Amino acid sequence: MRVLFATVLVAFSLASAPHALGAEQAPPARAEPTQADLAAILDYVDDLYSSRSSHTAVTMHVVTEHATRDMGMETWSKGEDRFLVRILTPEKEAGMATLKSGTNVWNYFPKINQVTKLSASLMNAGWMGSHVTNGDIVKHNRMSQSYTYVKSFEGDREGQGVMDLTLDPKPNAAVVWGKVVVVVRRSDRNPVQIRYYDESKALAQTWAFSDIKRLGGRDVPTTIKVVPANKPGEFTELRYRSMELNVALDDALFSQRSLQK
Amino acid sequence: MSPWRLAWRNLQRNRGRTGISVLALAVSTTLLVVFHGMVYGLDDLVSRGAVNLGVGEVEVHAKAYGLDQSIYATLPTADAIVERARSRGIDAARRALGGGLLSSGEKSSGVRIWGVDPAAERALGKLPSHLKAGSYLPDTNGNRVVLGSELARILGAKVGDRLALIVQAMDASTSTEMMTVDGVLESAGEQIDGTVAIIDRRDFDALFGTDGKVHEVALSSHFQLPEEQVVAVAKSVAGDAADVQTWRAVLPAVANVVDITRSSAGLFSFVFFAAAGLGLLNTMLMAATERIREYGILKALGATPWRILTDVAREAFLLGSLSACAGGAVGLAAVFALESHGIDLSKFGKLSLSGVGFESVWRAHASADGVLVPVLGMLLVTVAASLYPALKAARLEPVKAIAHV
Repeated sequence: MRVLFATVLVAFSLASAPHALGAEQAPPARAEPTQADLAAILDYVDDLYSSRSSHTAVTMHVVTEHATRDMGMETWSKGEDRFLVRILTPEKEAGMATLKSGTNVWNYFPKINQVTKLSASLMNAGWMGSHVTNGDIVKHNRMSQSYTYVKSFEGDREGQGVMDLTLDPKPNAAVVWGKVVVVVRRSDRNPVQIRYYDESKALAQTWAFSDIKRLGGRDVPTTIKVVPANKPGEFTELRYRSMELNVALDDALFSQRSLQK
Repeated sequence: MSPWRLAWRNLQRNRGRTGISVLALAVSTTLLVVFHGMVYGLDDLVSRGAVNLGVGEVEVHAKAYGLDQSIYATLPTADAIVERARSRGIDAARRALGGGLLSSGEKSSGVRIWGVDPAAERALGKLPSHLKAGSYLPDTNGNRVVLGSELARILGAKVGDRLALIVQAMDASTSTEMMTVDGVLESAGEQIDGTVAIIDRRDFDALFGTDGKVHEVALSSHFQLPEEQVVAVAKSVAGDAADVQTWRAVLPAVANVVDITRSSAGLFSFVFFAAAGLGLLNTMLMAATERIREYGILKALGATPWRILTDVAREAFLLGSLSACAGGAVGLAAVFALESHGIDLSKFGKLSLSGVGFESVWRAHASADGVLVPVLGMLLVTVAASLYPALKAARLEPVKAIAHV
C-alpha cells in the first residue's frame, strides 16, 4: 500500500487527481458491500491526500521516551512519485529537505550543504527522528492490489458507525506487513484507524486519523497519529495546517538543485 | 673421595658421550627458554595491543549500555571514577559513543563515533601516537576528526579533507557538521580501522546534545597494577550500577588466544622434556651397563644399594645441572637479544586478532618463570631419567655382576 503515509509524510505531499474512485466523493455505503466496493474503499483511503499536485503545510509532533520535538514543514507533490518536504522549524533543522523522485530519496542538510541519497539499509530508520520510516516514504504499494481483503466488521463502535477491512498480503506481494486492518467510517469512508501487524501477526503500528476538516476542497482527517506498538508512550502526530490541491508546480521543483535552495 | 667428586670423575670417563649429552640437554633447555620468552612476548604483544590500542586494562559502562549500545545509556559516575582512578595513579579517559554517517563527496559510510578527551587519551594508551598520517586531535576542539585507516580508504579521505557528519542527536533531531580530517590511524584492527571516527568530546556534545554525559571510562595502570586492583578502584565508585570489565571480558576472543598460547607452551615443554628424558635414559642405561662389573665389585666391598643408586643419580644431577645452567644462560641471553631487537613481522602485513591490531615487532619477554621452568624442569627430568638405570645397578647381585662380560 503506498500506505497512507507514503501518504503521511508524504501525505503532506501526495497528490493526484480526482482519482478513480476519487477522493472528491466517497462511495455511498451499502448494506452488504461487494469486493469492488471494498476495493473502492481501500483506493479511497490510499488516495485520500492525493491529487494531480499538492502543496501543504504540516506540523509534526514527535514524542519519544527521551525527548519531545515539534517540526513545521512545507510539502509539495506532483503525480504519484514526486514530492519534496522542506523543514521550516525549529531553527536547528530549518532548511533540511527530503526529495523523492521515482524510487530514489535524497536528504539535504543545509549546514553542511550536503545531499545524501538514502541507502537501502536506512529504510527502516525513522525519518528525521520520527516514527515514520524512510521505507514508508518510498513504498508504493496500493492496498487493493497487494492484499486480499474481506469485511471483518460493520456496525457501531464507540458511538460511530464503522467498517473493518482485514487485509492479508498476496503471496508474491512486496509488502512488509503480515496483516493490515483498515477501519473506516461508514458515513463517508474516511479512515479512522489502520493497524499494521508483523509477519507473526503481532501488532506493530497503529495509525489513528481524526479532526476531519475541509482542506483542499475535501473533508479529510487532518491529524494522523502514528503509534509504534513496541514503544509504549511514544508517537508521532502529523497535523495538516493547509492543503492546496491541483496547483501548478514546475517539474524543476523536484530536482536535486531545487532541494538545495 | 666424596660421592660428588666421584660422580664428577665418572662423567669425565667418557668425555665424548658426556659432551654430547650435555650439548643435547643444553640445546633443549636453550630452545625451551627462548620458546617461553617468545610465547610470553606474544602474550604481551596481544594483550598490550588490546590494552593500548583502545580498550584499556579496564572499561566501565552503564549496565544498560551492553544491551544495545544506546546513546541514552550514559554513565553518571564517570567523573567520580576518573577522579578516584587518577588519585591512585591510574590513567583514565572518558568517552562518549554514538553512531552516524560520514560522507566525502559521493562516498559515505556508517561510523562509530568516539567523543574523547585528547589529553586523557594520550596519557591512557598508544592509539593517539598510532598514526599513519596527520596528527591526533589537539587539546582545543574545532570539529576535527581522526579516522580509522580502512574508513579513510573507503571515504577516499586524506588529512585536511572536509567530511560531512550526520548524526541523530539525543533529542532524535538530525544534527550535522563539517569535520576536518586531522589524522588517519595506523592499522589498529578491524574494529577500529573500518568504522571508528574519533572527535573531540566537546564537538560530540555539540552534535549529539549529550551535555557532558559519557558512555565509557577506560582505565590503565600501564601494567603496573594487577587488573583486579584496577577493577576494584572502578567498582569502589561505580558500585553495582555499572559494568566493570577487564580487557579480557571486553575482548574474550583475544583473551582466549592468550590462554591457549600459554597452554601450548606447557604442552610444548612436556614434549621437549619427554624427548630429552628418553635420550638421557638411553645414555645412562649405556653407562650403567658398561659399569656392571664395577658395581658388582663395589657391592662385594660392602656398598649398599642406596649408595649405588645415589651415585648414579648424583652423576645425572651433575650432568643435568651443567646442561640446564649452560642452556638456561644461553637461552636467557637469546631472550634478552630478542627482547631488545625483536622480530619484524611487518612483511606479513597487518597483524590483528579478533579485530585487535598489534605492533608489527614481536619481542621476547624475559621473565623468571620463563627461565626457571625450563631449567628446573630439565634438571628434574635428568634426575628422573637416571632412576631406572640407577635402580637396575642398585639391585645387581655382586657375583653375577662381577662375572658379567
